[in-house]
Amino acid sequence: MKRYDCMERLGALLKNELVILSLGASVDEWYNAAPHMRAASLFQQQLGCVTPQAFGLAVGLPHRRVVSLDTDGGMMFNLGILGTLANEQPRNLLIVVWDNECYQSIGGPPTHTAKGRVDIARIAQGAGIEQAYTVRDLDAFAAHCRMGLAADVPYLVVAKVEASVQPGIRRKHSDGREDKYIFVRHVEATEGITIMGPSEHN
Amino acid sequence: MQQNIVARVIAGLKAAGVSVVCYLPDSLFKELYPALDQDPDIRTIQVTNEGEGAAICGGLFLSGKRAALIMENSGLRASIEPLARMGMGAGIPVVMLMSYRGDLGENNWWAIPHGMTMEPLLEAMRIPYRVVDREDDIERSIQDAFHWSYAAYYHSAIALTGALVR
Repeated sequence: MKRYDCMERLGALLKNELVILSLGASVDEWYNAAPHMRAASLFQQQLGCVTPQAFGLAVGLPHRRVVSLDTDGGMMFNLGILGTLANEQPRNLLIVVWDNECYQSIGGPPTHTAKGRVDIARIAQGAGIEQAYTVRDLDAFAAHCRMGLAADVPYLVVAKVEASVQPGIRRKHSDGREDKYIFVRHVEATEGITIMGPSEHN
Repeated sequence: MQQNIVARVIAGLKAAGVSVVCYLPDSLFKELYPALDQDPDIRTIQVTNEGEGAAICGGLFLSGKRAALIMENSGLRASIEPLARMGMGAGIPVVMLMSYRGDLGENNWWAIPHGMTMEPLLEAMRIPYRVVDREDDIERSIQDAFHWSYAAYYHSAIALTGALVR
């Protein structure tokens, strides 16, 4: 199963949601696989921060569906968030973990999931997230995403994907700061709120 | 921490517009956490480590809600990685309220490293901070931290010490 194909299936399900995603090649893939979600997606190069940030966003906007596109390396970096999610039970958060069993963006050395013993979905279940699943084919992935987007409990899907990058895709040119402004302005426009307002005159 | 100090902290948070607090409990702020939990205007989220709390606060910033990360100052060390990435890499601010373990008056050997590392780490991270030891300065200092962070879009910190926490 290819991550890019999964992204196209997930992207087709999204319209008004907000997305926070992890680092590496998945950034460029999401940029291309779901172009209608570019402004609604925060592209962050932050190992271990993605799902906590998505949870914070979900707490702040409880009426809005939030999607975290995390990775095996990123989730293993900060497993504690799984316990926090279990205790807090956000009603509007879908977490997808792209598990390619390697640190792809630095050339592919294995992550802890590569030996077949570490199972992130079972870790999540043990942490108290009851709706946590591992999927290995596109139809199962899309079905769980559909259920996760409608769930009123935290929902986690570990997608076992190949360690490949979609060839010929366009690179995203913006940095984290520009991405933040684009995302914040999108949240402001769609929520009718001010997050980063004008300076005072004094 | 005496109840009048607890009340001042909560008043300062509310005056700054804070509606969510992420915390990892510590001993010097022991009385503050249950008071926050019981406050109807503030949602509390207990985290497993302070770095996770920093990242959640970053997400809350993106939602337009004001959040604070409350912790012992040892939590700053656990938070450096997400703080560097969010603050320096993207301009996503986190406002921190810390108990100043290891300041003069400290009587626990294990807390000495917290005092030795806090201010140098804040300076290395170019995070402006204020060490507060007077009750009358608490509310203003918390509000000042939020004013600064929402002008700079960078982190700031308040550390309570002395008679405020002992």
